[in-house]
Amino acid sequence: MGSAEEDYNFVFKVVLIGDSGVGKTNLLSRFTRNEFNHDSRTTIGVEFSTRTILVGDAMVKAQIWDTAGLERYRAITSAYYRGAVGALVVFDITKHQTYDVVDRWLKELYDHAEASIVVMLVGNKTDLAQAREVPMEEAKMFADNKGLLFVETSALDSTNVEEAFKTILKEIFYKVQKQKQRSSQSNTVSLASESPASTAPAQAERRPCCVAL
Amino acid sequence: RLEEVPLEVLRQRESKWLDMLNNWDKWMAKKHKKIRLRCQKGIPPSLRGRAWQYLSGSKVKLEQNMGKFDELDLLTGDPKWLDVIERDLHRQFPFHEMFVSRGGHGYVELLCVQPSAAMDGLGTVSSMGPSSALIRCRGLAALAWHWRLIPGLGYSLGYSSLSLQEAIQLDGQILFSLLHKVSPVAYKHLSKQKIDPILYMTEWFMCAFSRTLPWSSVLRVWDMFFCEGVKIIFRVGLVLLKHTLGSSDKLKSCQGQYETMERLRSLSPKIMQEAFLVQEV
Repeated sequence: MGSAEEDYNFVFKVVLIGDSGVGKTNLLSRFTRNEFNHDSRTTIGVEFSTRTILVGDAMVKAQIWDTAGLERYRAITSAYYRGAVGALVVFDITKHQTYDVVDRWLKELYDHAEASIVVMLVGNKTDLAQAREVPMEEAKMFADNKGLLFVETSALDSTNVEEAFKTILKEIFYKVQKQKQRSSQSNTVSLASESPASTAPAQAERRPCCVAL
Repeated sequence: RLEEVPLEVLRQRESKWLDMLNNWDKWMAKKHKKIRLRCQKGIPPSLRGRAWQYLSGSKVKLEQNMGKFDELDLLTGDPKWLDVIERDLHRQFPFHEMFVSRGGHGYVELLCVQPSAAMDGLGTVSSMGPSSALIRCRGLAALAWHWRLIPGLGYSLGYSSLSLQEAIQLDGQILFSLLHKVSPVAYKHLSKQKIDPILYMTEWFMCAFSRTLPWSSVLRVWDMFFCEGVKIIFRVGLVLLKHTLGSSDKLKSCQGQYETMERLRSLSPKIMQEAFLVQEV
């Protein structure tokens, strides 16, 4: 308590998904700890980390969850997606096959997450642009068609990693704000948009002890 | 911190183990309890590789299947599996010399064995990941884990009709209901937070704690595991849960789901220390 990290107005859970080896774990560590590991080991089960950033005038604590891309290391489906308000679907721009399966990841995501989840398509490893197999325009168009945010990143040299996470957090934040307005119009007394029944997603949690910012 | 075994004790243990290994069938038939006790005390490092082979039964399997490895080795693996293994293998033990270079010693052997095993209907072989690599590092024959250790570790024993995913979920549920008895406080807390067991036990079980515990504790746990089987994995899991979330005092600092997960992620070194852990198991 009391540390800057602990003062926040919202907690957003964001999940990372995508094929094995596309760089999910390094995106996580780059954003939350500014670290990159060339030989990061295969994720088994789940990993997670947080970082608190300012979005608009609110402190948002981003809880980033990372899971195994390899089918056999994941027993995790609904439990992993539960409560997630954002998702980064990551592929490797130098491996077309990791892009080909994005559709499958999206399907799993929509099968288990709230329909209102904010989704961003992320083409990672732009530092290896000379080995590019997925044209940026192609991925961008795909994202537009599906109504996803899109960005290309490099966890290795940090390009766009901040931007990617900040963009999705901002988008989630606006969605929450809008929802709050709607719920106040409909005469709901409290700000407790925490889990307004089953219709709306659990967009934000608010810890009473942290209200006084 | 390593538990120091006095040199004389170690020598005594070594000679006891040599005697057991030399008369293995007799010991297994008549004095299994004693073997179990000695496994609990820790197998002397110099004999550990051999002992694990005997305990797991891989030695027998190895002899029964002479030449099988070479035979399988000649087969070409399913490209799908080869690709997965290729992408994955060097990342399992990034710092181990055997896997540092592609084409290195351990790398080639694992690459040879894994696809053949996969083709052999032991699809779960790759799920062993770090554990199988660990066994390789301990100098056991490739066949050892291929034929015996994989079923023991890799969720096919008794679960042959289940996918790995289903098996781990089932184990998660079993672990959780055992926790109800062992530590009602921890059980209640995890239930209240709606933390699905697979969120914390997947890595524990899939890797038989090789990624969780300090190395000296991994070896001790495995000594018992090879002797007594999968129940050891459950017990270790229960000890960790109980000593992490088992009292209202401990729960004060992990009120939220995320905080609880974080606590389970960074376990206290004290409870993972070999002397403490083994005694609790």
